[in-house]
Amino acid sequence: MTIYRMKYNSILAIAVAIILSSCTAGPDDTGVEFAPNMYHSVPYEPLSQITNEDAGRWVNSLDPVFSFDSIRRVDRSQPAEFYNSNPNNAFGMTMREPVPGTVKRGQYLPVRIAPDDFEAAARLLVNPTDSTEAVIKNGKLLYERFCLLCHGAEGNGDGPVSTKYFGIANLNGVAYQALNEGHIYQVITYGKGLMGAHGSQLDVEERWEIARYVKALQKQQQ
Amino acid sequence: MLKIDLSNLKTTGLLYSFVFAFFISSPALAQEDTTAVSQFDPEVVAAGEKLFKANCTQCHAIRTRLIGPPLENIQDRLERDYLIRWIRNSQQVIESGDDYAVSLYEEYNRTAMPAYPFTDEEVEGLLAYIEVESNKAPEAEVATTGEEGVADAGTSQLTSGYVTTILVVLVIILVLILIVLGLIVSVLTRYLKEKKDLDESELEVVRQRIDLGRFFRSDAVVGIVIFIFTAVVLKTLIDGAFTIGIQQGYQPTQPIAYSHALHAGEYQIDCNYCHTGVRKAKSANIPSANICMNCHSGIKNLAGKDGISPEIQKIYDAIDYNPETGEYGTNTKPIEWVRVHNLPDLSYFNHAQHVEVGGVECQTCHGPVEEMEVVYQYADLTMGWCINCHRDTDVNTKGNDYYNKLVELHARNSKEPMKVKDVGGLECSKCHY
Repeated sequence: MTIYRMKYNSILAIAVAIILSSCTAGPDDTGVEFAPNMYHSVPYEPLSQITNEDAGRWVNSLDPVFSFDSIRRVDRSQPAEFYNSNPNNAFGMTMREPVPGTVKRGQYLPVRIAPDDFEAAARLLVNPTDSTEAVIKNGKLLYERFCLLCHGAEGNGDGPVSTKYFGIANLNGVAYQALNEGHIYQVITYGKGLMGAHGSQLDVEERWEIARYVKALQKQQQ
Repeated sequence: MLKIDLSNLKTTGLLYSFVFAFFISSPALAQEDTTAVSQFDPEVVAAGEKLFKANCTQCHAIRTRLIGPPLENIQDRLERDYLIRWIRNSQQVIESGDDYAVSLYEEYNRTAMPAYPFTDEEVEGLLAYIEVESNKAPEAEVATTGEEGVADAGTSQLTSGYVTTILVVLVIILVLILIVLGLIVSVLTRYLKEKKDLDESELEVVRQRIDLGRFFRSDAVVGIVIFIFTAVVLKTLIDGAFTIGIQQGYQPTQPIAYSHALHAGEYQIDCNYCHTGVRKAKSANIPSANICMNCHSGIKNLAGKDGISPEIQKIYDAIDYNPETGEYGTNTKPIEWVRVHNLPDLSYFNHAQHVEVGGVECQTCHGPVEEMEVVYQYADLTMGWCINCHRDTDVNTKGNDYYNKLVELHARNSKEPMKVKDVGGLECSKCHY
């Protein structure tokens, strides 16, 4: 009798252990979530999107599959708990691009110079940042994060990516020494030649700080 | 007369051919022939190389077409004066209406070459360098590095193969020894049984048998087995229960097989370059395709491969880019990356506060991303994990005036450096509200 009970108990324990160990996350599996409602936001959340309308139907105890409570039944035509897509946006995306012409609070008003009019940029644009140690130091930090990969630590166009991406400007070249900060700012913002536009990655001030640092770097390398 | 003349001609011809043959066969002269390239002074070539690498390589290569045309054997194709005029002021040449200049300008997307005020000597060096480079055989670097990698993998496989064979052989030898020992024991027992002149105690030893059944039913063994069994099951149960809600090791397949090992590892692209929000916002951000295109407008496949990689083609499809013409269409669609790290809504986490203010390295929480082919969740992201770090980590107060008063207050009561827990890092409402 006791042996049978022991056997029964041990089988039960092993079964529970197997079930619980299958809660672990795997390569394509998040594992069992604790409080799933908390992992799947009700409001539209940036960087997450669940387009499947039936995802998380099981979470709702009032769902007809689980509930015998016929009065408070949930309407099945409504999307389930985890569904997180904005039907008003293209592809149900939860994020939206800002309206064209939007200016971020605390940012500078856009300057209307054609992207390829470097001559006008060089003539009209003025660096709003101070030429202090701190600004140049910050410019150096930003340069190392956003420019070094191609232009190299000294600006010689020999960054780690230059072995793969050809035609990188040597910022210490004769033609580049002559360029002023306005021109550099315009190139960072809109790109030039093979260089892509970096305006989406850097704020206005950050771009100016980089421009300032590039000029300091050129002086250093001379 | 005529006859003599002819013979004369013949002899001189012979003589010439002799001399010619001598020259050809002369090893010293032949050697000089192959190094005929170095008719330039090495110093001039070195100066030219320096100048070329400093000013020209961004748009020109010797054999490949970049922004500007390839410069192989330019000295044979164009006159020196024309070249000098072009280098000093290309726009003037184009404006003068020169046919070749205008067609070149049109062919290369109307990109004008900047004016370079080089002296005659500098141009001399440049042209010398280009000529020397043009005469060199093309190099094939990419292929060799690839082969090395393959060879490395091969040797490591070989060594692991050796280890297994050695182990298998050892096991076989041990089993054989066991069999032989068993045989010896049985032969000896049989021999002893046949002997008549043994006394009782000796016979007892001979007749002795190992009773396995009784051994396994003994209290001690049953107790030990039950104990080990219970302990293992309990451990599995508790471990299993603790994995609920923990997504450590989650490594979803992404729509594009993007490799951090290649981008962040091999090419050392800074994390900030793509994850632009990490120092400014709550979320580090997944880069949009325009950031991919900063490089992938030019890089269309892995090193040494032709054509367009199917994975890079997926970026082009998403933004409706035509790699042939370099034009963008309007039929765009988002790339549906799968989110790896997801904190439940009950807790608040801000990247900017940790990375920009706290100075925490990305790898502290995300692990060796620069070695990951496919990103996986490195840390368990549990509350205990957060709290432990807040207990141990010093606040990054350097150069941050915000903390001045707090540091002062803290120093009054304690000699220890100020930890995150000392500025409320363990308060519930810091993260749960």
